[in-house]
Amino acid sequence: MTSMVTNNEQVMADASAWLARLQRAEVTEGDGLAFDAWLAAAPAHGVAYKRALAVWQEFESCADEVLAELAADAARPPARSGTRRWVIGAGGSAIAAGLAVAILPGLLAQPATQTYATGKGEHRKIALADGSVVDLNAETRLTVRFTRAERQVVLADGQAIFDVAHNKDRPFTVAAADRIVRVVGTQFDVRNRQGDLTVTVAAGKVQVRPASASASGHAFLLTPGQRLEIGRTGVESLAAVDPEEAMGWRSGRLVYRAEPLANVVADLNRQFVQQIEISDPELAKTPITGFIVLDEQSAVMARLSLMLPVRSIPSDRGLLLLRK
Amino acid sequence: MAPSGPSETPGEDGPLIRAFFEKRESLLLFLAARTRCMATAEDLIQDLYLKIAALDGGTDVRAPSALLYRMAANILVDHVRSSQRSSRRNSDWRQETRTVMGGEDVVDEPAADEVLAAKQRVRLLADAVAELPLQMRRAFRLHKLEGLSQAQTAQAMGVSVKMIEQHIQAAIRNLSQRLRS
Repeated sequence: MTSMVTNNEQVMADASAWLARLQRAEVTEGDGLAFDAWLAAAPAHGVAYKRALAVWQEFESCADEVLAELAADAARPPARSGTRRWVIGAGGSAIAAGLAVAILPGLLAQPATQTYATGKGEHRKIALADGSVVDLNAETRLTVRFTRAERQVVLADGQAIFDVAHNKDRPFTVAAADRIVRVVGTQFDVRNRQGDLTVTVAAGKVQVRPASASASGHAFLLTPGQRLEIGRTGVESLAAVDPEEAMGWRSGRLVYRAEPLANVVADLNRQFVQQIEISDPELAKTPITGFIVLDEQSAVMARLSLMLPVRSIPSDRGLLLLRK
Repeated sequence: MAPSGPSETPGEDGPLIRAFFEKRESLLLFLAARTRCMATAEDLIQDLYLKIAALDGGTDVRAPSALLYRMAANILVDHVRSSQRSSRRNSDWRQETRTVMGGEDVVDEPAADEVLAAKQRVRLLADAVAELPLQMRRAFRLHKLEGLSQAQTAQAMGVSVKMIEQHIQAAIRNLSQRLRS
């Protein structure tokens, strides 16, 4: 019985492989003859192929509708209507947020917390129920929980730009590393990579403070054009930046000012499948100033070699970056 | 002595025509790999028939199957280069859903429940795509839904063409299993 199932799965895999192979730019008579022989080998082959073909053709015939549906998904508010109803319907502003959260699972079939994650090279725009919009950079994980008193986001790892809908009664907070970024309505970028936190403000005022009273660190009130960097060791530094530059990744542009090459490569490795390695530690420290347009990896690598005396060679794991 | 019966292939048909009729079903499935419905594949096989009918008799064919598949492969590749994609993009949504739902060319307006069923089906298809693993989903979306070639998809994703074909194969398998019934 098990071998039968396995066999069916193999036939389905073969049928899928044939259908994929017949999509090549060049299809030869050899492909045709091999396909013919495969079909003739067992009736099950034709059955499996027709099944795969039906699905394949169905997608072909309504590709645009499916694309539109997928695009609508990306823009759809993540919180279910139930969450929203609860948020609006709850009365009595004295109820503590903690208590509200405790009640929530009992009231709703849907969980109140939504998690969003992006993979390598993936960017995603999400519209939250309150009208705020979040742009996620590659390899980012973020959870959203709206309580009556607060709009809470946890940026577990990654980078995101927040366009926060104004609501002074319901602050918007982003917890990242061991800091809380708190705003009323504004646009800002938060980056949390392995505990190195950066907050850049484009509009409005943003407060950054330690997550708990016992935690070390200071509270900051950031204004547009300011960037706060907090290293994983707790070193805090404030700088003036062009917010457009800091948020350039949203439109496929990475802007750097004296950024070590290792950090630039780490960013690129989140955008492309082919991973870049630097073997030379001195080279890794080379400061980079300039911008990188994220289109194709080969083009990016070519431009990088114009900015720096480096060249890339293929390696087992991807690309190895060497001094010229 | 006895004349050949009516079910036999008429004597004047050459080897190419005979091979064509023997392999018609397989050729149809071959050509259907890039069409959006079986009716279009039938049109293509009709083209193939006309081409070989024009050829047959005049040429000595040693390997009729190879010639058939060479011609079929050319038709297959030309078909994608032709206006299939653009016609798809310009076509009416309801007409599309009729193809999806019925496979028959109905001219009058579809019933409201048919439109609803088609919308639900699209929803189901989109959900199935959304649940594919990331890289597979990207490859499927770019290649199948947005109509890029395998090479263009590979370029956009920064991976090899071979990798794209593997992603597409895995996506087809996954979607076929998911959307069965």
